[in-house]
Amino acid sequence: MARSGLIVVGLMVVVAFFWSTPFLWTLVASFRPESAGGIGMASLVPDYTPTWANFMSAFESGNFAVYYLNTAIVAFGILGVQLVTISLAGYAFARLSFPGRDVIFYVFLLQLMLVPPVLIVPNLRTIVDLGLYGTLAGVMAPYFASAFGTFLMRQTFRSIPRDFEEAAFIDGAHWWQTLWHVLLPMAKPGLVAFSLVSLMAHWNEFLWPLMVLNEPSTHTLTIGLATFALGTEGGKEWGMLAAGTLLVMFPLLALFAVFQRQFVNSFMFSGLKG
Amino acid sequence: MRWLPSLAAAAVAIASASAAAQTKIDFFFPVPVDGKLAKEMTRLTKVYNDSQKEVAVTAVYTGSYDETKLKAQAAANAGKPPAVVLMSANFVLDLKIAGDVISLEPMLKADGTTRDKFLTDFWPALHANAIVDGELYAVPYQNSTPLLYFNVDHFKEAGLDPKKPPKTWAELVDAAKKLTKRNGDNVERYGFAMPEGYDYLGWLMEALSLSNGGRYYNEEYGGEVYYDQPSMLGAAQFVEDLVFKHKVMQQGVVEGGGVSTNFLAGKVSMMLLSTGSLSFVRENMKMAYDVAFVPKNVRNAVPIGGGSLVMFKGLNDEQKAAGWKFAKWLSSTENLGAWSRFTGYFSPRKSAYDTPEMKAFMAKNPDAQVAIEQLPYAKPWFATYQTVAVRKALEDEIQAVLNGKKKAGQAVKDAQHNADALLKPYVDQTALKLP
Repeated sequence: MARSGLIVVGLMVVVAFFWSTPFLWTLVASFRPESAGGIGMASLVPDYTPTWANFMSAFESGNFAVYYLNTAIVAFGILGVQLVTISLAGYAFARLSFPGRDVIFYVFLLQLMLVPPVLIVPNLRTIVDLGLYGTLAGVMAPYFASAFGTFLMRQTFRSIPRDFEEAAFIDGAHWWQTLWHVLLPMAKPGLVAFSLVSLMAHWNEFLWPLMVLNEPSTHTLTIGLATFALGTEGGKEWGMLAAGTLLVMFPLLALFAVFQRQFVNSFMFSGLKG
Repeated sequence: MRWLPSLAAAAVAIASASAAAQTKIDFFFPVPVDGKLAKEMTRLTKVYNDSQKEVAVTAVYTGSYDETKLKAQAAANAGKPPAVVLMSANFVLDLKIAGDVISLEPMLKADGTTRDKFLTDFWPALHANAIVDGELYAVPYQNSTPLLYFNVDHFKEAGLDPKKPPKTWAELVDAAKKLTKRNGDNVERYGFAMPEGYDYLGWLMEALSLSNGGRYYNEEYGGEVYYDQPSMLGAAQFVEDLVFKHKVMQQGVVEGGGVSTNFLAGKVSMMLLSTGSLSFVRENMKMAYDVAFVPKNVRNAVPIGGGSLVMFKGLNDEQKAAGWKFAKWLSSTENLGAWSRFTGYFSPRKSAYDTPEMKAFMAKNPDAQVAIEQLPYAKPWFATYQTVAVRKALEDEIQAVLNGKKKAGQAVKDAQHNADALLKPYVDQTALKLP
């Protein structure tokens, strides 16, 4: 038993190492003194005196304080609205019965089949009509309703036995009181899982914000990073690129590190198995 | 929600009131060289905005050339066309065929000048990419050609004279063999390298086929490319031989960033790279280096690269006038000179090189002079219907050659076949549309 356990641990270490290699390289390269590369640029070994120079030049390349703020507004703003819309829509599809419910639900799901770039022009036109062109609200608007989130919440609600709600109804609760006090607390794992996916997607999104935003004061992190990552005719300043990448991912990384236990707990605590 | 329409009306009234005083326009620009350029471009725009009161320009960073094209087209379709866009010089034809960009002839007329007069100061090689069907559609802004970079220390070590870099393909192969360092089966240093990723590879294959006496495409008509002609076959065979016969270039596809990093690290002794990388190499290269013309087989010839200013459809008359005014300011002798010194691109205006600032800069950086001396041999950059797809048709095949999956002869045949299929809709609408 101990032996096979060791083998499993060994295998996991190997997999984890391969999986984390790009991250480790980014970390090592971001503190390497020669930004544009030397013999050791490809090395994973930090064989140098660390320097902040790459982070400094990355910071000088863009207004990162503004980028952070804008990205946070976009990612959390979208999530905030989504949590409301997907809970309500998920509840409607899971619990209410109205004519054509299943058809509407499947039509709704069809959205998942569309590749987002196809929608750039029509969405942009809508954003312009709404007067949101060039604003952060314009970046957020198309994501306020989420087909994936609605699907996830519908499935989550359906897995909760009706007994809980019926008990609440008997006590005279409104549907919205049932949703708020009974269903949502039990659906926490679904909400947390969706939040993770949504935050990651919108934090890292590049093309759509680039399409909507104009003023540098509205730019998000990915657009800021692109200004020094997309140079094809120049050379690559790997060190600065690595530093910039770390700056972009750091807040999410920190967030997950701090809340890791809660995330895992929320997945474990479903209590409704079987 | 009753108040909404009146609020909107008020907003429109306010907006148009301020528009009467000042025309607001958007200027989209990509950053193909270096992140610092985005800041510099924003600074330049601010200088312009502060210098006059009629036009207020918003400089918008828009990613790569491809994303800039996507954003400009999407914005124009959504009713928010950018007045001025810095666009890859070889997208102009494609954009004109699609009806996205407007002719600049009316503006020239309003200025009381002609296309020929306007273009006199621009290097002749740049004219073809700015003109479509006899009308001016673009103003050259930042331009480049390929250049041979070589490591002077490696040349000395290998017994080569760094004052006499290879001038022909034969001399290039000879030097590359001497410069390649082997340790058993392991290659420690390659004699030669060139970027082989999308976009760059097509440009360099044009350079090689031009140096081999070819044309790559029909400069006068967007429906023809010459991929299966002897000039391109020779170029493709040359690339294959560098890898598999002479073994002086790495097998497989190496991207531009990898090539320049290898060159800086002394892992590669010679490389073909854009003149646009000159500032970057100058700032970061620890060993001695120099630059030379792209070696020839039949004749000296290189393609132009870089970006031009274009104006989008859907602008009202004030915006058009404002955009043209800004484009003229950006492409003034003084501004093009400063941009060239800042970026490493060469200035499309000849007069920029007569300014004292430029003379001082050239005296300090003699390597920048080589790019200028090569200009008389420059040719237009390939531009066809569906430029990007037609270019990829060749690049995919050459990459297969580099990976050892195809022979050059078959590759150029397949490239021609695929390109012809892509060009067919346009050809059917134009050259083959008969009475």
